[in-house]
Amino acid sequence: MSISRRQILAGSAVSAAALASGFPAPAIAQNEPIKIGYLPALTGPSSSTGVGINRGTQLAVELINKEGGIKGRKIELISRDTQSDPTKAVNAVAELTQRAKVSMIFGPLNSGEALAATPLIARDKVPMLHPCWVDELIDVKKYPMAFRIAPTNTQVGAGANYYVVDVLKLKKVAVISDTTGYGTASVNTYVPMLKAKGAEVVYQNHIDAANPDLKPELLRMQAAGAQAIMPWSVNAGFLSRICNTRGAMGWDVPIVGQTTLGSGQTKALLEKPEYWNKVYSNNFRQVCYANGKLPPRAQEFVDRLKAAKIGFGDTLLWWVALGWDGGTIMADIFKNAGTKNDDVVAYMNKVKGWPGIYGTVTWTPEQHNGFPDSEVVMCEVNSLKDGAFNLAPGYSA
Amino acid sequence: MLESIVSYGLAVGAVYALIGITYNVMFSASRVFSFTAGMLGMLGGVLGALFITKFGLPVIVGLVLVLACGALLGIVTEILTVRPVLKSIEQHLYVLSTLAFALMVQQLTAIEWGTEAQPFPRLIPIGPGWLDQQFWLPMLACAVTIVGLELLYRKTLIGRAFLAIAEDSYAARALGLPETRLRMASFALAGMIGTLAGFTGAEMLLAFFGNQSILNFYGFVPVALGGMGSNRGAVIGGLALGLFQQAANFLVGGIFAAVAVFVVFIIVLLLRPEGLAGAATARRV
Repeated sequence: MSISRRQILAGSAVSAAALASGFPAPAIAQNEPIKIGYLPALTGPSSSTGVGINRGTQLAVELINKEGGIKGRKIELISRDTQSDPTKAVNAVAELTQRAKVSMIFGPLNSGEALAATPLIARDKVPMLHPCWVDELIDVKKYPMAFRIAPTNTQVGAGANYYVVDVLKLKKVAVISDTTGYGTASVNTYVPMLKAKGAEVVYQNHIDAANPDLKPELLRMQAAGAQAIMPWSVNAGFLSRICNTRGAMGWDVPIVGQTTLGSGQTKALLEKPEYWNKVYSNNFRQVCYANGKLPPRAQEFVDRLKAAKIGFGDTLLWWVALGWDGGTIMADIFKNAGTKNDDVVAYMNKVKGWPGIYGTVTWTPEQHNGFPDSEVVMCEVNSLKDGAFNLAPGYSA
Repeated sequence: MLESIVSYGLAVGAVYALIGITYNVMFSASRVFSFTAGMLGMLGGVLGALFITKFGLPVIVGLVLVLACGALLGIVTEILTVRPVLKSIEQHLYVLSTLAFALMVQQLTAIEWGTEAQPFPRLIPIGPGWLDQQFWLPMLACAVTIVGLELLYRKTLIGRAFLAIAEDSYAARALGLPETRLRMASFALAGMIGTLAGFTGAEMLLAFFGNQSILNFYGFVPVALGGMGSNRGAVIGGLALGLFQQAANFLVGGIFAAVAVFVVFIIVLLLRPEGLAGAATARRV
């Protein structure tokens, strides 16, 4: 059967009229799954965070779908392993936004990849949820559809500064870092914040992390009268050498800093277990033990993980909780706002006090960093039990 | 302070000296400056921790396996990255081929071993202070290596054959010496020395893939200071570098310590381009 040009034109006119009249979409569209793009680093050198977060995200999506999904629509988590490689993250973004047409993107879960991917996701006008700490990822003017459910690096530094100055009441502080971009930027940001709080930074330096002997540095800190050491580095070797040197010198000052201080890699490099005493690392109030107990929400979550037979003894509770929060907050958003991008962003701009396991989230049109300052705390690194730590001494329960 | 400068300085310096000797042994046999020396040092620590800590093998077995892996890697380096470029050595293609191979091995190590530093076991549980193995073990390894090489080169036929190849490969070949096999043996020997450096220094430097670039560079400094091909010069240069680096750590600290090392390095090379122990070469005019 041949089709004439007139028949095609007539068909097109009918289609256009039907679209203009706004007749209801076919029922099948109402049951289509809600697609969420997900960019964890599950392999590669920076994958330990992604593996931990992934357990929580997968569990959240699995349970939501098991309970019937969102208004009858299942969540389809389209996961792409970025392999800790920003190039792969960028390629995955193109696939998720342009081909898969996802309704939201969760991730990338690592800062390096997130820095590369965020401008592209913003360009394609897809809402995104960040679990990373780098301050530059959130900018309501440049990235109006990007929201964060984790603290910023500035909040993390401020939490450590608060602990040293306001909780421990120490005024003379040594601040050091390795020579990486993260280390130098942290020192340059946190030192003025410390001074603004009235602390005296008696020693400040950037140190080659490969230097096997840090005794000269610690002797200089001691001579300067430092009452606390604040090292900013994610290098477990560097941090363990600080702990070992302090221990060997018999110098009883607290070491206060980034989460890597409390990592298993740092612990493995200690010469003696007691060298981990009086070492406090960043953590989050909702997932820390206070007087031996987790907050009720976190305890309920741990029970849920145990029931689902999801292990977290080999990872950190806050990583798994962060993944869970990502999955459940997206489900809440779609349940309340639907999947149209503008509606989603309008709803997210009004989220107030959303009760996550990892943290309580509040967003406004002017502020897309949703994590509260009050929930960034310090913990005792030598208290790890079932993936969580004790609050550092001095905090109220 | 003095005790710390001497103990750490000599220990780190001995590791640098051994890496310098690794460069020299490969260079003497091939006239190729192979950038795999730091890789071998890095693998000495990583493989040692793997065999002894992870696999639970006895220390001696672990050491023998590490040295065997080093020898094997040396042979692979010679076959894959040196032999194909020897015909056009003037074009310095070996810089690319040896560096590419070293980087590839480093990336594989990062993927399989991890990017975090990991502990190296204390092999001889005595200490602390000077008795701690991290101070005397690299120095002992350095002394054994330099004495062993001297005996090899002066007292054995194969050692003399190595020297003959290093002195004049054309003449050595004309005399019937198997140049290719001797070069391969030299690279195997260098592989063992490089991994021994990493193995003995690993309690101090840890089992860490990132040690490769540090050892590559700081191992090159004693070669440049001591004179290319001079093992004694490498030992003196390595120990001097370690002591100076540690003294700079105490005196200026932070990243300025590294800057001080490079400043002195450049000054020495400007004053004596042939190195402290090297002889000035005559130039045909």
